[in-house]
Amino acid sequence: MNLSVTLGRLELKNPIMVASGTFGYAREMQGIVDVSRIGGVLPKTITAEPRVGNAPWRTVEVSAGLLNAIGLDNDGVDAFLESHLPYLREIGTSIVVSVAGRTQDDFVSLASKVGQQDGVAAIELNLSCPNVSGGVDFGTNADSCRDVVAAVRAACPVPILAKLTPNVTSIADIAQGAADGGADAVCLINTVLAMAIDWRKQKPMLGNGMGGMSGPAIKPIALRCVHQVASAVSIPIIGIGGIENIDDVMQFLVAGASAVQIGTANYYDPTLSTRLIDQLPAALAELNASSVADVVGTLKRS
Amino acid sequence: MSKLHADFYADAMTQVEAVITEQQLIAEETYRVRVSAASIASTAVPGQFVMIRLASRNSPLIGRALAIYDVIDDSDGKPRWIDLVYIRKGTLTQALAASPLGTQVTLWGPLGNGFSDRPCDRLIMVAGGIGQTPMLLLGREALGNQTFGDGSRQNGWASQVELIYGARRESLLAGVDDFRNAGFGLTLCTDDGSVGEQRLAPDVLAERLSKLTSGETVRVATCGPEIMMQKVAEICATAGVDCQVSMETPMACGIGICFSCVAPIKMDAAEQDGSEGWDYKRTCVEGPIFDADKICWH
Ligand SMILES: Cc1cc2nc3c(=O)[nH]c(=O)nc-3n(C[C@H](O)[C@H](O)[C@H](O)COP(=O)(O)OP(=O)(O)OC[C@H]3O[C@@H](n4cnc5c(N)ncnc54)[C@H](O)[C@@H]3O)c2cc1C
Ligand SMILES: Cc1cc2nc3c(=O)[nH]c(=O)nc-3n(C[C@H](O)[C@H](O)[C@H](O)COP(=O)(O)O)c2cc1C
Ligand code: FES
Repeated sequence: MNLSVTLGRLELKNPIMVASGTFGYAREMQGIVDVSRIGGVLPKTITAEPRVGNAPWRTVEVSAGLLNAIGLDNDGVDAFLESHLPYLREIGTSIVVSVAGRTQDDFVSLASKVGQQDGVAAIELNLSCPNVSGGVDFGTNADSCRDVVAAVRAACPVPILAKLTPNVTSIADIAQGAADGGADAVCLINTVLAMAIDWRKQKPMLGNGMGGMSGPAIKPIALRCVHQVASAVSIPIIGIGGIENIDDVMQFLVAGASAVQIGTANYYDPTLSTRLIDQLPAALAELNASSVADVVGTLKRS
Repeated sequence: MSKLHADFYADAMTQVEAVITEQQLIAEETYRVRVSAASIASTAVPGQFVMIRLASRNSPLIGRALAIYDVIDDSDGKPRWIDLVYIRKGTLTQALAASPLGTQVTLWGPLGNGFSDRPCDRLIMVAGGIGQTPMLLLGREALGNQTFGDGSRQNGWASQVELIYGARRESLLAGVDDFRNAGFGLTLCTDDGSVGEQRLAPDVLAERLSKLTSGETVRVATCGPEIMMQKVAEICATAGVDCQVSMETPMACGIGICFSCVAPIKMDAAEQDGSEGWDYKRTCVEGPIFDADKICWH
C-alpha cells in the first residue's frame, strides 16, 4: 500500500504526523517510538525570543479532554536552531517547524530564518494559539491571514502550512484567506477556547484563567471544520483534533483531510503514532483504496 | 549535551498493558495495588514513578503519576511486579480502588530521575501524607537490602537509615510495618497525637540535625506536601546538610512532551544569560527529584 501523501509542495512518507506542542522536541520520544517512521514531526512552537510560559496549573483534565495554557514556553529561535535542529534533522523524517509571532514582520523574519536551514521540510504558521496575547488576529481575519501567509511565502523557500483556530464564525473564510496567500495546506484545528472553574475557591483552575481544549471531546468540532473547509477551499487539509485510534484517522481522511496530526493522545498513549501507521493499510483496504489519496474527501451526502 | 536538554529522558520506559493481580486497603482510604510489569520492575530505581491509566477508558483521559512503592521478584528472583500505594481521592484513584483483580491498566515507566545514591553515614527520609511512597525502595537500597535498575547504582550506601513519617492521624499512616521490617529507624508523627509524636515531621528533623556527631555525613530525602518539603529544605540549608526533594507537580504525560509539570528551578550561573536566575523545568524528566537548594519555593 502506498502511504505517501502530497500537500502542495510538501511530500510525506505517510499521513500520520504529530502535532506541535504534543511531542516535545521529538528527542523526548526517541526511546519510546521509532520517530523515523512518523510521516512528519512538529516540534513545539518557537518564538523569536525565549518565553518562560504561563504559571501552573498549565493543564486541567475535563470530560474526555484536556485544557491547557502552556503559554508557548520555549527557548527562542536561536536556541532551537543551535540545540534542537541539529538533532531533529538526523531523525529520518520530515521536520515541520512551527513558528508564532505577534506581528507579520515577526512571522516573516522567523520563517525566513528557519526556512533557510538544512533539514526543515516546511514551516507551520501557528496563527491560532489561544494562550498568548497578540498573534490571534491572523487566525480570525481572512485578510490578515492571507497577508501574513503571502508575506511569509515571499520570504521563505520551503512549503508553508497555516494552522487555524476553530474559535471563529467561519473557518472556511479564514482557510480561503490562507489559500489566497499561497499556503501549501491548512491545518485544522488548534485548541478550542475553554475554561474550568474551582467553585469552592471561586477561581479558574488554569493559572492563566482560560485555555485551549483538546482531546477526544473536540474531535466532532474538528471533523466539522475539516468538512466545511474541504467543501469550500481547494488546498490540502491536515486534520487535527482528538485523534486516538485508526477509526478517527479514517474519519478525518474521509472528511477531506490529506494527512492528520496526533496531539493529546501522545500524552496518554505514547506509542500510538507508530501503531496507527501499522494499522492504516488495512483500514484503507477496507475502502478498496490503493493509496491515501483514494479516500480523501470521499464523504457522501447523507 | 546542551543545557536545553534534560539530563534524563524517558528513554528507559516501556508502555505495557498490565493486569491488577492484588489490591488491598492498607490504611484509611489508602490502597496498595500490585500489577504485573516485568519491564518496568526490572529497570526502576528509587524515586521513579509510573504513569497509569485504566486501559481504553476516556474517564479519566490523562494518565496519573504514582511513585513506585515496591518491586517484587518472581520465584527465579527476577523483578516481575510493581506495587503502587495511593489515596482514594479523585477520578483515577476512585476508579482504581473499585477495580476488581484482573482489571487491565495501561502503564508507562519507569519515569523520572530517581534519588541520588551518593554514599553517606546516615540517610534521613522525611515523608508527609502520601509522600512515604518512594521511601521504601530508597531506604532498602541505602541499607543494601535490595538492588535496583541495571546495576549501575551503588548499593548499601548508608550505614543508618531513618524515616520520619507524619500524617494527620494514625489511621492514615500506610506501610508502617514495611518500613519497620526494612530496618529503618522509624519516628511517626500525627497532628492529633493518635500515635507517635504530636508534632510536625520537620520539627523532628530539626532536632535530629541539631544533635549530629561531628564528622558524620548526613543526607536528607523528602516527599510530601510542598509546605512540608520547603520547611525541610530550610532546616537542611541552615544545618548545611544535603537535601533532595521529590516534587509533585500535576503531570499530563510524564515523559517531557507537554510542558505542564513545570516548577521554578534556579539556574546555574552559566545558564542564566540575562534571565532572572530561574526557569520553569519539567519535573517529569528533569525531576521529580531535585536538590532542595535548586527549588524556588513560593
Ligand atoms: C511524581 C509523582 C508521584 C506521585 N505519587 C503518588 C503516590 O505514590 N500516591 C498517590 O496517591 N498519589 C501520587 N501522586 C499524585 C497522583 O498523581 C494524583 O494526582 C492523585 O492520585 C489524584 O488523582 P485522581 O485522579 O484520583 O484525582 P483528580 O481527579 O486528578 O483530582 C485530585 C484533586 O486535585 C484537584 N485538581 C485536579 N486538577 C486540578 C487542577 N488543574 N488545578 C487545581 N486542582 C486540581 C481535584 O479537584 C481534586 O481535588 C503523585 C504525583 C506525582 C507528580
Ligand atoms: C499541552 C498542549 C500544548 C500545545 N502546544 C501547541 C503549540 O505550541 N503550538 C501549536 O501549534 N499547537 C499546540 N497545541 C495544539 C495541538 O497541536 C493540537 O492542535 C490540539 O491539541 C488539537 O489536537 P488534539 O485534540 O489531538 O490534541 C498544544 C496542545 C496541547 C494539549
Ligand atoms: S508531565 Fe508532560 S512534560 Fe512533564
